[in-house]
Amino acid sequence: MKVNKRSIAAFGAIAAVSALTLVGCASGGDADSGEENESAGEITVWVDADRAGVLEDAAKDFTEDTGVAVNLVQKEFGEIRDQFVQQVPTGEGPDVAVGAHDWLGTLVTNGVVAPVELGDASGDFEQVAIDAWSYDGQVYGVPYAIENIGLLRNTDLVPEAPTSYDDMIAKGQAAGTEYAFLVGLDPEAADPYHLYPFQTSFGAPVFGSNPDGSYNAGDLQIGNAGGQAFAQWLASQGAAGTGVLNTNISGDLARENFVAGKSPFFLTGPWNVPAAEEAGLNLAVDPIPSAGGQAAQPFAGVQGFFLSSESENKLAATEFLVNYIGSEEVQTALYEVGGRTPALTSAYEAAVAADPITAGFGTVGTDAVPMPSIPEMGSVWQYWGVTEGAIINGSGGDPVELWNKMSSDIQGAIQ
Amino acid sequence: MPRRPFKRYFRETGWRHLIGIAVAVFAIFPLLYVFSASLNPGGTLLTANALFSNVSLQSYIDLFGSERQPYGAWFLNTLVIGLATAAGTVILGALAAYSFSRMRFTGRRFGLTTLLVVQMFPQMLAMVAIFLLMVQISEIFPAIGLNTQIGLIMVYLGGALGVNTYLMYGFFNTIPSSIDEAAKIDGAGHARIFFTIILRLVAPILAVVGLLSFIGTSSEFVLASIILIDPDKQTLAVGLYKFISDEFSKNWSLFAAGAVLAAVLPVALFLALQRYIVGGLTAGSVK
Amino acid sequence: MATPTIDRDAAVETPPSKKSRRAARIAEAAGAGWKLLIFKVVALGLIDALALYAALVLFQSEQWVAAIAVLVVTGVANWVYFSRGNLPAKYLIPGLIFLLIFQIFVAGYTAYIAFTNYGTGHNGSKESAINSLMLSAQERVPDSPAYELTIVEQLGEYSFLVTNPDGDVELGGVDRPLEPVDNAEMDGGKAVALPGYNTLNFSQIVANQEAIAAIAVPISEDPNDGSLRTPDGSVAYVYLSSLEYDEAADTMTDTRTGTVYSDVGTGAFTSPDGEELMPGWQITVGFDNFVRAFTEESIRAPFFSVLTWTFVFAFLSVFTCFAMGLFLAIVFNDPRMKSKKYYRLIMILPYAFPGFLSALVWAGMMNQEFGYINVVLFNGADIPWLTNEWLAKFSILLVNLWLGFPYMFLICTGALQSIPDDVQEAAKVDGASAWQIFKSIKLPLLFVAVAPLLIASFAYNFNNFSLIYMLTGGGPRDVTADVNVGATDILITMVYKVAFVGSTADYGLASAFSIIIFLLVGTISVIAFRRTKALEELN
Repeated sequence: MKVNKRSIAAFGAIAAVSALTLVGCASGGDADSGEENESAGEITVWVDADRAGVLEDAAKDFTEDTGVAVNLVQKEFGEIRDQFVQQVPTGEGPDVAVGAHDWLGTLVTNGVVAPVELGDASGDFEQVAIDAWSYDGQVYGVPYAIENIGLLRNTDLVPEAPTSYDDMIAKGQAAGTEYAFLVGLDPEAADPYHLYPFQTSFGAPVFGSNPDGSYNAGDLQIGNAGGQAFAQWLASQGAAGTGVLNTNISGDLARENFVAGKSPFFLTGPWNVPAAEEAGLNLAVDPIPSAGGQAAQPFAGVQGFFLSSESENKLAATEFLVNYIGSEEVQTALYEVGGRTPALTSAYEAAVAADPITAGFGTVGTDAVPMPSIPEMGSVWQYWGVTEGAIINGSGGDPVELWNKMSSDIQGAIQ
Repeated sequence: MPRRPFKRYFRETGWRHLIGIAVAVFAIFPLLYVFSASLNPGGTLLTANALFSNVSLQSYIDLFGSERQPYGAWFLNTLVIGLATAAGTVILGALAAYSFSRMRFTGRRFGLTTLLVVQMFPQMLAMVAIFLLMVQISEIFPAIGLNTQIGLIMVYLGGALGVNTYLMYGFFNTIPSSIDEAAKIDGAGHARIFFTIILRLVAPILAVVGLLSFIGTSSEFVLASIILIDPDKQTLAVGLYKFISDEFSKNWSLFAAGAVLAAVLPVALFLALQRYIVGGLTAGSVK
Repeated sequence: MATPTIDRDAAVETPPSKKSRRAARIAEAAGAGWKLLIFKVVALGLIDALALYAALVLFQSEQWVAAIAVLVVTGVANWVYFSRGNLPAKYLIPGLIFLLIFQIFVAGYTAYIAFTNYGTGHNGSKESAINSLMLSAQERVPDSPAYELTIVEQLGEYSFLVTNPDGDVELGGVDRPLEPVDNAEMDGGKAVALPGYNTLNFSQIVANQEAIAAIAVPISEDPNDGSLRTPDGSVAYVYLSSLEYDEAADTMTDTRTGTVYSDVGTGAFTSPDGEELMPGWQITVGFDNFVRAFTEESIRAPFFSVLTWTFVFAFLSVFTCFAMGLFLAIVFNDPRMKSKKYYRLIMILPYAFPGFLSALVWAGMMNQEFGYINVVLFNGADIPWLTNEWLAKFSILLVNLWLGFPYMFLICTGALQSIPDDVQEAAKVDGASAWQIFKSIKLPLLFVAVAPLLIASFAYNFNNFSLIYMLTGGGPRDVTADVNVGATDILITMVYKVAFVGSTADYGLASAFSIIIFLLVGTISVIAFRRTKALEELN
């Protein structure tokens, strides 16, 4: 009969365990992920680690002023776009997220972002920032930083700015360093982003523009006569020519060589300035010298915060975006942690006045053009880099033929 | 012990050392590279051709000083997730292997093959489905859904049967069934035979599977980065990947230091299990 | 939610009359005594409770299929553990449950996605697509004034109390065009209250923001003048919508061009000349994705060369890693060698290191001009390790060998350990040479354990995306060829390039490919299994 007792005990125990578990399920089903907004008084913001500290202060002010709590969720910047696209349709996503303007094509096509009405504040931002965050005539975010590359010069090696690409190479060679000029490339895919100012100096943008300044996907300009001239120029600077452009020098290597004083010039963005400053170099940021005679226009990348189309807190979120993230105080604080020039004109002017390096990049930025955010750009990247790589390495035959082939391949992929 | 003559020494173990040294060099020199980079703050991986030209522990100190990258938490999470997954995999796999090895039932052959074939589904492309499934689970049980370590462990355990079961199954087969028979005659039930006799005899393979599972889990980052959202819940692989995924602020030295410390976990586990992996425990029982 | 009441017998579905027999079974199962019994009770109790709770929640959210599935699985599990027989099932169920949910269900779900157009621009319901289109279509009338806004409420209905830039005060609401009011309370040039109405403060606005964000107040009787909307509750702007949704006809009309976009079953509003409004929504598309998988030009052209390389890569990866692993396992499986554990430890290192990092390090060492291999080992040679078609293939295999031999080494070491010593002793006594012992005793025994793993390893390498992606990105690519495929692209990296171009993702197509790849690998594996049947001592 011991057995019987045992079995009764067993069932009693199972029931007890079940009951306890159920109570636990029922009461403790509260996730701390903050994606369930039970109360209307909370907005969720996805932010990358660098921006998080500044936003904590802004969020505190916002909560004090409005009573609306802000739930900051830290994300890796690079993951935000895809996770946002993935999560918003499932109802899991945030109200607001940080991002780059060239994501817009994807975000709008997926219907996960809503326009942000800047109202009369739109005039307070740098024009390039507003252009970048516009898509189909609507502004989809509040920009906070503009980023573009410039020519970093070691002033101890070359005291004055070059006037053209050829002048730069001559000055670089005269300096007697190992390299006349450095730019980070990839052995196979070169680096269209860094080479773009040289390409535009031949008058060959990727796309033509609409009257309102947006890109016209139907007007592929990359294969025009300027583009062909650029292809020839690339070949002349590559392995078969002067060898100035070397695809074996990656971005890391270029930085390391520049920091070690092995070259007076380095075509790069603000992100490599701290390493050079720590090494004690005296730096200046010059306009990018023209190779083809026209203005060398680099791409501008504009970062900002955008609004989810499925947000249930649009009013509070818009208030936070426009009046807090768009405020001079927050824009300046964001500039101080990231080093990218602010998008708000007043903060931009203050930053430029205070720091010659920022001013240098800002001056280059006046020529910058927003990186296209239209979905067609995806097809361009696919062919662009490898073609440049083949031309520089001299491995694919005639540069102009390669360039034309690339242009027709892109045209084919877009349609 | 008298010294063996060199010729005999070489024939017995000396040549093994030669091979060992050659393989050790092949295995270790890329890692020396990483180690050298970790001791050179501000340097990169690519130009470390002059190994150990600069020795500084700064990167290791910085690793634990960063608030935004809670390296200590990652380390702990990896340990917890890795050990839990390894333990679960060993238990589930051993249970299944026991039944495949010792019992005869319909669908056994088919089941064995199916287990292996199911694992061949390209997980890379199944990410979307896994994510949507976890979203659904989150709605019912937030405690085991998205952004929870238990959720991630469960996903990993989905792959517990399969290759590991097969590995164990092969081993269970090498243990003579006469041992089971003898125990049955002594009146032991199947559970007791399994838990007290068989598991001891197959310890080497349990250790191997545990180690493989731990290493696999701790270096997996695709699933982990989809399921774990908050930085303080993430694993080393995800955290380290972030160090280099950010295009313009690659901190190779810090990253290398993090990777060197990350490799400590599997190595420590291997040392702990070495006794079992190399222990010829079966020898004693088959007499 | 309230705690559900528990029927004591609901968790364990066995009538009480069989108690004694059941108890006997429990006692039998609890051969290891109380510990096992307690473990079983607690585990089953937990699982039953969780399952019951999950089923309740699922029933509440009307997910009938899932709820029933949960109940069935739990029922089966309980039955298995409380019945006398079903021994194999008792041992298999724990692993099978995880396998069912996280592998088989996931594979099935992926198969379902393969029949949809899920991807960029088609990732949600029609409802949210319409919502998003309407949001984006709201365009502020150029150069229209900004109105200072106070939101007021009367009898549960919201009204906009606005002050235009000239200082005129007007009131309006949904379907009530703006009308001037003259008795508003003013504060600093802005109307802040109106007799008979309650003014909402910011927290009240936030609490009702969904309703307030949806309010559109017509400027005048003429709808073409636009409506006032507020993005933040304190300012209102004049908007005109560039799209109109006609619910009855289920069409979208572009108010500027007059184009009518209708739902023609393609998962997006489409104009008569085929132009689609994005975003669209998710629909099932039958076998479309599979048809595309076989007709897509960027896949068809290079398909055979890629497939060949995939096979070569997978086979050689397994072969080289296994050969090296086995060789080393034998070399270091000698009891006379005291220092073998140090060698073993060093050999584990490549495997213990995070794999993506290893690939990056190798890529750096293989840099043609500055990499360690060329600069130091080959004394400044200019060998294009990753940029020459054949060398890149060799490099991939070399790096994979480095990454993979420790795994094989571990497995073979374990396998050799499990071969009983007495077998060898007996053979030795019979005068067999070491090679004979190895060839006719050890190797066959080893193969029994390892053959399936080799097949699994083949399948793994067949889909070894991360190695290819991190080391060469599929390159080097021949730019003069017409396809976007490199020399080291394997099937899965090629699929990735096709399905995820730039920032567009086509999950439907990717899923269709994963099914195709799975069928391919699965078939090969099953055939390979049949071939190795001879090795298995199945009885």
